[in-house]
Amino acid sequence: MQVFKLCLKILKKNIRSLLIYIVLFLGISTIMASSASTEQNTDFSFTKSKARLAIISEESTPLTAGLQQELAKIAHLVALPDEIEALQDALYFRTVSYILRIPKGFSEKIMRGQPVKLHKTVIPNSYSNAYLDLSIDQYLNSARLYVEQIEDLSQEELVQFLQKDLAVETAVEIKTNDRQAAKQTYSQYFFNYLSYSLLSILILGLSALLLVFNNQDLQKRNACAPLSTANVNRQFVLAVLVFTVLTWLVMALLCLVFALKDGFTVNILYLLLNSFIFALCAASISYLIGTLVKSPNAIPAISNVVTLGLSFISGVFVPMELLGKQVLKFASFTPTYWYVTANNRLASLTKFNYTNLQPVFTSMLIQLGFALAFFAVALVLGKNRRLQ
Amino acid sequence: MSLHIFGNRLKCLLRDKENVFWTMLFPILLAVFFNLALSNVNAGESFQAIKLAVVNNSSFHNDQALQTALDAAAAGEQKLFELTLTSQEQAEQLLTEQKVSAYLLVDEEPVLVVSKTGIRESIIKSFLDSYLQTTAAVNTILQNNPNNPALLFQSAGERQNYLAEVTGSAADPNNILIFFYSLIAMSCFYGGFWGMREVTDIQADISALAARINISPQHKLKAFLSSLTASYLIHFSELILLLLFLRYVLQIDFGAKSGYVVLTTALGSLAGIAYGAFISALVKKSENMKVAILIGTTMFGSFLAGMMIQDIKYLVSQKFPLLAYVNPINLLTDAFYSLYYYDTFSRYFLNITILGGMTIAFCLGTYVIVRRRKYASL
Amino acid sequence: MIVSVKNLVKRYDDLLAIDHLNLTVHDGEVFGLLGPNGSGKTTAINCILALLEYDKGEIEIFGRPMKPEAYDIKRHIGVVMQNVAVYNELTVEENINYFCGLYVADKKLRQELVREAIEFVGLQEFTKYYPKKLSGGLLRRLNIACGIAHKPKLIILDEPTVAVDPQSRNKILEGILELNQQGATIIYTTHYMEEVEQICSRIMIIDKGRSIAVGTKDELKAMITLGEKITVESQRITAAQLSALRRLPNIVSAEYKNRLLVIKSSKGSNNLETVLEFIKQEKIQFGKIYSELPTLNDVFLEITGKQLRD
Repeated sequence: MQVFKLCLKILKKNIRSLLIYIVLFLGISTIMASSASTEQNTDFSFTKSKARLAIISEESTPLTAGLQQELAKIAHLVALPDEIEALQDALYFRTVSYILRIPKGFSEKIMRGQPVKLHKTVIPNSYSNAYLDLSIDQYLNSARLYVEQIEDLSQEELVQFLQKDLAVETAVEIKTNDRQAAKQTYSQYFFNYLSYSLLSILILGLSALLLVFNNQDLQKRNACAPLSTANVNRQFVLAVLVFTVLTWLVMALLCLVFALKDGFTVNILYLLLNSFIFALCAASISYLIGTLVKSPNAIPAISNVVTLGLSFISGVFVPMELLGKQVLKFASFTPTYWYVTANNRLASLTKFNYTNLQPVFTSMLIQLGFALAFFAVALVLGKNRRLQ
Repeated sequence: MSLHIFGNRLKCLLRDKENVFWTMLFPILLAVFFNLALSNVNAGESFQAIKLAVVNNSSFHNDQALQTALDAAAAGEQKLFELTLTSQEQAEQLLTEQKVSAYLLVDEEPVLVVSKTGIRESIIKSFLDSYLQTTAAVNTILQNNPNNPALLFQSAGERQNYLAEVTGSAADPNNILIFFYSLIAMSCFYGGFWGMREVTDIQADISALAARINISPQHKLKAFLSSLTASYLIHFSELILLLLFLRYVLQIDFGAKSGYVVLTTALGSLAGIAYGAFISALVKKSENMKVAILIGTTMFGSFLAGMMIQDIKYLVSQKFPLLAYVNPINLLTDAFYSLYYYDTFSRYFLNITILGGMTIAFCLGTYVIVRRRKYASL
Repeated sequence: MIVSVKNLVKRYDDLLAIDHLNLTVHDGEVFGLLGPNGSGKTTAINCILALLEYDKGEIEIFGRPMKPEAYDIKRHIGVVMQNVAVYNELTVEENINYFCGLYVADKKLRQELVREAIEFVGLQEFTKYYPKKLSGGLLRRLNIACGIAHKPKLIILDEPTVAVDPQSRNKILEGILELNQQGATIIYTTHYMEEVEQICSRIMIIDKGRSIAVGTKDELKAMITLGEKITVESQRITAAQLSALRRLPNIVSAEYKNRLLVIKSSKGSNNLETVLEFIKQEKIQFGKIYSELPTLNDVFLEITGKQLRD
């Protein structure tokens, strides 16, 4: 077990830098998961999203007041001076995500049924903004119907009618209990981000070990020892596994601390299993990179490309729903994609029968396949390199 | 400046091909990945129709208006929904198996049944809300002597658009750009590795090569600066390549002030190298430790600047504004963005001034440590 | 006077690495600094070169105080460090040219110097090689060439022959003498006493950071009482015979161990004769008998009570 012991010694010697990576990436995943899950809770209409809205009204009429009142129910109204720089800054720093300008003569045109437009300046791609768009259009379309159909309608009357109509809302039933759903969203995000963290830590941590080991002179010396290559490799892989499992344990424990606060669910167990399989996969990717790369200077760059690249196209940072079909097809050739797919499915699962779990198991098997494939390639390439 | 040292250093650095290859390629590769992931977000294209089950009971059968509305939303090229009419048990089954995002049960009032709250579920609900609110308006009107009830239903089905988007400044706010700008900023700070290498090669207590330079009749700082210039030249060239790639291959819009973009990149590269040099001079621990600190701070800085998830950037600037101003990667990202976004230069200059100040501080810090020409131990 | 060190003290925390060291090197000398591993040779050299901070002492080179920024002094020093320090990314020729260029700005002159240095260390066939392709001995030679290409007045070599094959070692030693003949003053540190005896005109022996003896090799040997060491291989020596031996004139000590009788005598002639006579007289059977003159190791042994090489 000399090789194994040596590996552990090298890892132990680098324990401080490894700890930096662990703390850093754990921190990142935790912050991301908390921010994403709170956003999830507030940004969508179920819990009444609150976009930050500034209304610049060039006139003051009962109708504009009514509209403002209505919008105040679904958005945080932020008062801003009507100055270009102030408005630009507000959008720049996201103190508001939506600026609505009501032009002069707007109410009168509405009351006459004439076409008129409100001006909006927005941060693009925001769901809460889309929700505001819908509400404003709904308000004014309903107003249009009243103006068309009812004679001599005053603005005050119109506003009253609209207020009543717009109070109507679809009843929603969430099949799992609410608390659990919210928490699982948190776990889902946390575990998705975990793929980024795990991969980063393993690549950066293991490369330190592999660079020592792949030193040509050392390899020669090892080759001269009365140990078979297979034996050396076995011990080495064992060390890599120990490191992988320890890293995963630290990460998983932290997740448990967060998750168990809200009570334990079976989902967590499956999520943990999935992350463990991914950790194996990440270890074998790291092993491959460590075998291929000769220059230690290149490691940070490579690690960066692999971890961020996979995360972006596989739905870790940008939700899968927002990715194009082609991108997803491409991503399905990476293990991260299957990891995230399994996570997303697991997060909302309430019944754990075989039919429901089968796709999850398929994803896990594919990840294991990736792990074996990367490992085999690393072994072959490593051997070729030694013989050169 | 010693041309002799500069030239030889340049030769040395360029001959480490693996290093040059990866440092040049990694931001470009990442840009490609970003572009893949984000192209869809920006264009909003190829929206996948949301799968919705509807319980096919008598109440639904009787609600003609709802059927019409749903059918309209489930037709055409850009359809919003993919509908499945089915029994309640079946719908329940579909939902638990996640074959549909939600199902709709009409029972006096329509009820939307979901298993979680997400983007798709929200879209369905917004659609239904809008339908119900229009229905409420129609009902109210019918009770209040309408002029032309025959026209009412048709009119209710037509929706007019009352909003026009206007630009608040030189360019539209663009979320996607933040990703690319923070990528450039991160690449600038990966220049830290070049700076780190320079310090390693000039500090006699770290490398034998450095000892050799220390005993030569070359002024140490002059030698250091000459050698650093070589690193800077390579790193800056790599960044220019990245900018060209972003601009001409990925068609990223940098706004009208392209000269300033290059200038900002030049400063960013310098800031990154100075930062790496400073860390390397400051941390007396092992090489691995320095790398860990450099990667750690750079990645955390990029994270806070919104490279992975943009909302983090605004969370920081709203809740911890000071942190936003001391994070050089955020400053650099903001500098690029304000060039794109603002008509005026005031915000740009603010960012650049702080970043410049930090760069000078890194340089001075490095100078104070590297200046020592005798070591306590070798 | 080329180098003068007065009262040099250097501490590493609790460890006293250099303990009030005084040292002078004269023009044209090959000055040997001899001491076991860890005796403070390299530390002393690094202090002389103003690479290391020291706690006390004065160091002058060419009659001027040595400081990190004393560039006009540094210009005339060539150093060959213990560790090979060359750029792996530069070829043999480029490496020498680079380091030479730190001293000599004139390109033409430098070209000539680089060529001479390559010839001097015999690397003509390897000029386009990268250091990684060179064997250990050749790498050492490159390391030396990088240090001396600019033809310095003072050359400091810190154990340049460690881990070098005998052939390369001889070449290096001959080269050092040649440099000396061309007018360079040499400081040479090593823990091989044979090398010192072979090339050094003056030697300082140091141990635990202290100078324990300085002089030419004959002067050093004259410092000790030992004049001759006579070894007799014999099957049997009685205790009475041993004490009788010890009582003979000029004999300092006599030990019998592992069938070897080692007799040390102080200076004087006819010591061997006296011993031979005694053996005849006592009818002691013996296989071999031989006599040795003292080495620097004996000098070291007598002063410190331990071997130079453990």
